[in-house]
Amino acid sequence: MELIVALGLIVFKVALLIAMLLLLPLPLTWLERKIAGHMQQRMGPMRVGWHGLLQPVADGIKLLTKEDHIPAEADRFLFKLAPILALAPPFVVFVAIPFGETVSVLGNEISLYVSNMNVALLFVFAVIGLEVYGVIFGGWAANSKYAVLGSLRTCAQMISYEIPMGFAVIGVVMLAQSMSLLDIVRAQADVWNIVYQPVGFFVFFVAGLAEAQRIPFDLAEAEGDLGAGFHTEYSGIRFAFFMVSEYVIMLLVSVLSVILFFGGWNGVLIPLPPLLWFALKVAFFVYVFMWFRFTFPRYRYDQLMAIGWKVLLPLSMANIIITGIVFS
Amino acid sequence: MSRAWDRTGTWIGWAFFSDLSNALALTLGYMFSRTVTMQYPDKEKWLPYSRYRGHHFLKRDEEGEIKCVACELCARICPCDCIEVVPYEDERGNRRPAKFEIDTARCLFCGLCEDACPADAIALGQQYEFSSFSSRDLVIGRDDLLTKPGKAATGGGVVAARLDTKKDVLVEASEPQGYNWWRNIRRT
Repeated sequence: MELIVALGLIVFKVALLIAMLLLLPLPLTWLERKIAGHMQQRMGPMRVGWHGLLQPVADGIKLLTKEDHIPAEADRFLFKLAPILALAPPFVVFVAIPFGETVSVLGNEISLYVSNMNVALLFVFAVIGLEVYGVIFGGWAANSKYAVLGSLRTCAQMISYEIPMGFAVIGVVMLAQSMSLLDIVRAQADVWNIVYQPVGFFVFFVAGLAEAQRIPFDLAEAEGDLGAGFHTEYSGIRFAFFMVSEYVIMLLVSVLSVILFFGGWNGVLIPLPPLLWFALKVAFFVYVFMWFRFTFPRYRYDQLMAIGWKVLLPLSMANIIITGIVFS
Repeated sequence: MSRAWDRTGTWIGWAFFSDLSNALALTLGYMFSRTVTMQYPDKEKWLPYSRYRGHHFLKRDEEGEIKCVACELCARICPCDCIEVVPYEDERGNRRPAKFEIDTARCLFCGLCEDACPADAIALGQQYEFSSFSSRDLVIGRDDLLTKPGKAATGGGVVAARLDTKKDVLVEASEPQGYNWWRNIRRT
């Protein structure tokens, strides 16, 4: 009986998580367009619903009813597989992400995470690395020069930025003496990691921007020179899959920044519920992502590679060495 | 701010990304500044200036008689040949237009007909909302031209309006001037 209850709870949590992650891109697209508008002294969507709140729903209906077009020369199997490959890994990663300690419902303590892995951080980086397959297959299968160029760029970008990103979090792991995200947050109860690891955070965040393929590192889909990059040939619901995947990764990088460097659900000064603290911090980082997008131009391709290998990689390695010397 | 205090170019500014943070501060400032969008036709509408060249209208004199003497100078000067005038003689022996048609689909709103008119009968008024589903509806006859709105007295303001899809774009507010849209623009 207890086993069935525990199993049912996990299934419920997973279902809730998937529903949340599938629905969150809707308000996020609205927010992104609103922020874009106001930063350019426009208003953004205003006509569908109150201040355009129903605009994402209208966009979703439009994408669902659009023709699902596959180019004649495309590799049909890979072309259909790629959006799913791009969508699945970001969802899988959230299994390892804790949103808080426990919350009591009807006298029962329910943990706010699906699983507390002791190698959660490793799992996160291993699975998020798979997302690049969706992008590469999508660009390759479409058999279009823009898509291939976009996916080649993404390939190089993702691989070169995952290395400094992985090195940047080693400092955090050294401080917490654990790879479990829960333990990492618990270790930050007094002082957040950003105080000890400002360089680590800088490297992690810049690499995260590149990982999420956001401006200033959105070379994979650079509208100006590549049409839409790897998803040039996609339309309808398959395009929506890529879009959802992009937003979930943006959310994931925000969540990881909060957990690893900004104390997770530990609050300061104002006593708020831990879950609310967590949500506020994540919302701030999501805003920063959008703020960056509408402020900065795109880096050139060689600059992107130079930043990744010549600046971020040495910085993250120096960070590991200094952390090891100071905190050993 | 003097050059010496401008740290953007110095190594301190370089080390702390002063160029990037300046850009972020600028966009944040714009984010919380007023938007310049004129919400036409949902909420607002712009009132044209008196010099605005909108839809044509024909004028009447003090006795209510049509001013036009059907000299066809407007038809002659029109660069796109969109005015057609057919004269007749009324019971008092005056030359008047029996037919005065303007094809607004072809008109380019240059205002030359207004300049050429010796009787000050035709002018370009303030109306700018006369889109139509059929180009045949855009050929406007003499009697319709007599009822079109004339030149605006003031203008340049933005007033509250409401979109009425059944009839037309209607201006709800009775205020003559509205607020000055240009004053709200943040310029940096």
